[in-house]
Amino acid sequence: MPDYDMGLHLLDRQIVGADDRLVAKVDDVELTRGDDGSLTPTAILVGAPALLPRMGDRMGGWLMRMFRLTREAAADRDLPLLIGMDLVDRVESEVRLTVPGHGRLQRMDRVRADDRTRCRVGQILGTPVVCDRLPRRSKVLDLRMLGTPGGAGPHRVTSLIVGPDRPGALLGYDRRSEPGPAPVAAFVQWLHRHARVVELGRGVEIDLDAGEVRIGPEASLLPLRG
Amino acid sequence: MKRYFAVLLGVLTAIGGFVDIGDLVTDAQVGARFGWSLTWVILVGIGGICVFAEMAGRIAAVSHRATFDLVRERLGPRVGMLNLVGSILVTLLTFIAEIGGVALALQLVGSVSHVLIVPFVAVAVWLVLWRAKFSSIENVLGLMGLALLVFAVALWQLGPDWNEVVHQLKPTSNPGGESWQTYAYFGVALFGAAMTPYEVFFFSSGGVEERWTRKDLGVMRANVFIGFPLGGLIALAIVGCAAAVYLPQGIAVETLGQVGLPVAVGVGKIGLAIVVVGFFAATFGAACETGLSVGYSLAQYYGFQWGKFVRPKEAARFHAIVLLATVLAAGVLVTGVDPIMVTEVSVVFSAIALPLTYLPILVIANDPDYLGEHRNGPVANALGLVYLVIVVIASVAAIPLMIATSTGQG
Amino acid sequence: MSRPDASGWDQQAQQALKDAASDVGTVRIALRTAARDRAWSSYTIVLVAKAEETTGKTEQDLSSVQVPPARRIAARETLDLLSQAVASVQEARAHAADGRYDDPGLVDELTRLAKALQAEATKREAAAQ
Repeated sequence: MPDYDMGLHLLDRQIVGADDRLVAKVDDVELTRGDDGSLTPTAILVGAPALLPRMGDRMGGWLMRMFRLTREAAADRDLPLLIGMDLVDRVESEVRLTVPGHGRLQRMDRVRADDRTRCRVGQILGTPVVCDRLPRRSKVLDLRMLGTPGGAGPHRVTSLIVGPDRPGALLGYDRRSEPGPAPVAAFVQWLHRHARVVELGRGVEIDLDAGEVRIGPEASLLPLRG
Repeated sequence: MKRYFAVLLGVLTAIGGFVDIGDLVTDAQVGARFGWSLTWVILVGIGGICVFAEMAGRIAAVSHRATFDLVRERLGPRVGMLNLVGSILVTLLTFIAEIGGVALALQLVGSVSHVLIVPFVAVAVWLVLWRAKFSSIENVLGLMGLALLVFAVALWQLGPDWNEVVHQLKPTSNPGGESWQTYAYFGVALFGAAMTPYEVFFFSSGGVEERWTRKDLGVMRANVFIGFPLGGLIALAIVGCAAAVYLPQGIAVETLGQVGLPVAVGVGKIGLAIVVVGFFAATFGAACETGLSVGYSLAQYYGFQWGKFVRPKEAARFHAIVLLATVLAAGVLVTGVDPIMVTEVSVVFSAIALPLTYLPILVIANDPDYLGEHRNGPVANALGLVYLVIVVIASVAAIPLMIATSTGQG
Repeated sequence: MSRPDASGWDQQAQQALKDAASDVGTVRIALRTAARDRAWSSYTIVLVAKAEETTGKTEQDLSSVQVPPARRIAARETLDLLSQAVASVQEARAHAADGRYDDPGLVDELTRLAKALQAEATKREAAAQ
């Protein structure tokens, strides 16, 4: 598989050390924006400060405030733990590291957290999409990645999967042609019948400050299944 | 030779481990009030647990992933969290009921109030979970649980009128003359007792604990498809014993002592002693399973190291959670709450919570990413869908029925 | 304190009578099983003591319900039966604790009571309709 979907195949997966010990779950992934607008995953984020913001805008914010209150005096309470993407060996049904997990998770430092060129996958997922060719209230459903982490060649975000928000995180039925049980698969496909793939590049602008993704007329929208 | 022994041992422990406090109490209550007329629900429930456990076991053997590990991957952190909270509450409730059940079983020997026994039971459960090997817990308690087969002997000795039994097997016979709402409510409870969510967390996590591989698929299927139905026979025998002794006299079953009494009537002291050993093994075994399941589901959601396949200090957080759950369960029970009442509630909530774990497992069992060539075939999918419908119906119907019958009183 | 109407009281009385009949029946089976040396004493005592506890509670609960005027006579009869049940079960517990299971008089009394309680429950059920 030369490409994979961030939300479906990387987020929430189990991280396993080279010694087979379970380390944590991929609670979120840090992306770094290049000058050319490209997005590259640079670290896996772990812990409540990575997980809680993903619980939804209002709920996530509230949970984070509650979490900080559990140790108000700590300066780093809102900073997640991280593990560099360079330590990822391969992404299968679990995320394998090239090293044992013991003592590997580092607390993110404040400078990095405030770095404007970095963002999280969790921030982009669910961001409203502004595009007159998509149904109203469309959102970013997933990020499609090129390459496998640690594998040969570049790995970066190539396209966004956008469409009306639906429960159930696509349930894994987005790309395979015959996943069965047929009625469930058909139902999930029907739920996502308006979902489209849009390549990053001209006409696609991810504006996290405004909290929206703008897709202009020059970008092409492809159906989920080619 | 060794392989046959492994299959035999697996099947025997599956039989002995099938019944827990929920089955003991619900089966006897149903037998006393509805005779054999709800037998079909037990059969449907056994079929359901076979379908569900086979999928979860297959996923565990092929992808080495346990149930809750996958729930979050498929449902995302939010729905996964709701799922986690619901499942943990039900499992904790069952854990409380099982520990209470052990205390009630011991009370029948020593006639000391069960409230005084609870702390000792809790300590014993925790020590076993901390120190004992996974396979020895499963094998020793599973084999001891076979003692409950004495219910079948008792049924034969009680010699019910088999013509009458055949007549009662008809779902509409309802020999106790209960209302149909109550009938439906107990049907849901019986279904929840047969298909308890923790059984599948435990079964699939156990597969990972015991490092199943594709080669073990045959053994796993033998356990499921031979062991569970034979274990279900114990459930039917309990129903039959209660139907023979209590139904004609309109006696309702409210205590564990009443569940075992028909064996005393039919077989005598030795039979009764065997039954009490069976009560102990079934509840203690299930207490261990539910206690571990609380730890399993939390650890699998958050991704930290779990399981008894590593040394306790390597899964310190997991063991801390199990310890906390045990303290909590004991704390609830020493308030004097009736464990039978907790059991009655827990089986109904099991039925309510079941779709939360059933649907993700059904979806993943179809995913070639995890299972490759071992993903569901047409038969598994057809059965899986039929049970999806049943599981959802039972779950949706549970609360309205609970209110309409004021938890089975009316 | 609850103040049910006549049919509400009938329903509560019916449930109480059924519960008591169930307890009395259980005690009867337990005693007979013990008399035939088919159960050990602590098993029997646990069973009978639990039945004693619940019958006592059943009687208390019903007696604290305000009786509607139309049910004065029925209430006297029902509560009388319930207190008989409590007394017999109490006696059974005392016997069980002493290891005296072989009291045919007590078993007969329990049999009679179980039947009477059932019959009264049926009456109340009919009245509640």
